[in-house]
Amino acid sequence: MVSSNKLFEEPGLKQITVWARGVYENKEARDVVVALTEAAAKEGKYVQAWENYVDLPDRIYVPVRAYGKISDQPIESKYVYENETPDIVVLTEETLVKGVDILAGIRPGAVLVVNTKRPPEYLFKFLKKGTENLKSIITVDASSLAKSIITLSGAEGATDASGIGKGLGAPLAAAVVKATGIVEFENLLKIVANKQAAKSAYEKAQVAEVKTLVNAG
Amino acid sequence: MGVVKRISGCVATANAVKLADVDVICSYPIRPYTGIMSELARMVADGELDAEFVYGEGEHAQLSVVYGASASGARTFTGSSGVGVTYAMEVYSPISGERLPVQMAIADRTLDPPGDFGSEHTDALCTRDQGWIQGWASNPQEALDMTLMYYRIGEDPRVLLPQYACQDGYFVSHILGEVEIPDAAQVKEFLPPYKNHHVLDVRTPQIIGAQMEPKMGPGMQYQRYVAMEGSRKVIEEVHDEFGRMFGRKYDPWVEEFMTDDAEVAIFIQGGHAETGKTVVRRLRSLGEKVGLVRLRTFRPFPTEQVRNALSKFKAVGTVDNSVNFGISGAAGVLLTEARTALYGLGDKIPTVGFVAGLGGEMITHDEFYKMFMKLKEVAKAGKADKQSYWLPFEL
Repeated sequence: MVSSNKLFEEPGLKQITVWARGVYENKEARDVVVALTEAAAKEGKYVQAWENYVDLPDRIYVPVRAYGKISDQPIESKYVYENETPDIVVLTEETLVKGVDILAGIRPGAVLVVNTKRPPEYLFKFLKKGTENLKSIITVDASSLAKSIITLSGAEGATDASGIGKGLGAPLAAAVVKATGIVEFENLLKIVANKQAAKSAYEKAQVAEVKTLVNAG
Repeated sequence: MGVVKRISGCVATANAVKLADVDVICSYPIRPYTGIMSELARMVADGELDAEFVYGEGEHAQLSVVYGASASGARTFTGSSGVGVTYAMEVYSPISGERLPVQMAIADRTLDPPGDFGSEHTDALCTRDQGWIQGWASNPQEALDMTLMYYRIGEDPRVLLPQYACQDGYFVSHILGEVEIPDAAQVKEFLPPYKNHHVLDVRTPQIIGAQMEPKMGPGMQYQRYVAMEGSRKVIEEVHDEFGRMFGRKYDPWVEEFMTDDAEVAIFIQGGHAETGKTVVRRLRSLGEKVGLVRLRTFRPFPTEQVRNALSKFKAVGTVDNSVNFGISGAAGVLLTEARTALYGLGDKIPTVGFVAGLGGEMITHDEFYKMFMKLKEVAKAGKADKQSYWLPFEL
């Protein structure tokens, strides 16, 4: 028999994990994964989006997670709690680099997208664990491009009536697309409400290679 | 033609309730089913659904409100999870006793302890003998379809029984899946308005739920038994018609997955079957003769269909996602039901019980893999060394 670990591998699967602050940013985290997976679905990909069930609900300002999966094959690890091995990690606010193991389990070539005014070099100093598999850090000042939307609409698996990508979700998803090309930017624009913020973020997001950051010390 | 969207099981159920054009909804919040009610509340507030939305002061009240509303001729909807389901326990039997086709969605949650938010079928299974139709959906699409079909079955004058439309909490209720939302006009044709022939109305006074005398008991219970047994035919008709109208054909009783030449099979209900199917597919790619049988309707229990499905294997493993401490077979109710269905076939088909996913924990690919390997062993030996295995501790 082959080892059961190998048997259940899903090579075409990309995992997206968004970290956010509980209640205040639940929508923004959810919007990033919903916007990216909806855009990918337009491209005929197999997708899945969900929020971390155990982090929620009503835990104000604690770190919470939303997840997305995009694959060219049907998704077979469907009923799980977490993305164990993310390819893309997004932070809706910069202080999450500190004290939270945001890079846990990342696969080689993973990228980190952060909503921040600060340069990647500065943020890199706070990443104590897991950087060996990290390819690049992408910074974007999403908060200057869009207004954060605080709402309970869309909580608990219900429909978000406030509009997908109306707040920070749009620029953050755009920065992910710039860094990874995981979907066509045009398709993302068809999904998000705040198209202007997405366009500006796509233009302004800074991509820094981790190799360069390490060499610069 | 309907619209395809990616929505959670909660939203899928809410969409079905809207399409069923219910008259009275009674809510009380508890995770994870609560997403259904927040969605319905939004639909009512936005004018998408014209229904009376009543906030109950607890689950007992929720069921009491829909009990009365249904008696007055309304199509009703309510729901709950976990301890909410058990808190309303007193009211289930009166509703089926009065033959009122109330529908209740249950998105499973553990009872206390552990009382976490995770899914276990224990909550809904506590209610299994109360005279309600009951079954589990394994994905959001099935949750939507089941809601529509259950109204039609329960309201059929040959049945008149309430229904529990169950879905695994979180796994089915909260993860977004692709769902085709059918066209409203087509649903209207499939599900005509509810007609109660004994409407509670001040102009034609009658007593509902009055004190009975022992001599009246046997007749009343016998009628409820006849209704439950008679529902089998209606369940089959309604699934047939649904398949013809909407193109999604479900076997009303059991879904067989890669069982054709299978030597061993898992017998399971609910969302975890989807994980089990992946394992079956992957093991098949290695030439292993394994299959899966998913129970779709739990009450009435399809004894004959389960017997037909399971009697062709050399070993069967039931997967119980519930606690039934002290039960015969030391696993869960699926094991006892499967063994009863296979009764009379001697020890020809060794049937062992697996208990898995308790506390709402995932049942992993690896765990299903281990169950299949154990079943191969059992099939080879012609018997099991134990009646049941609790995962992950005993396998």
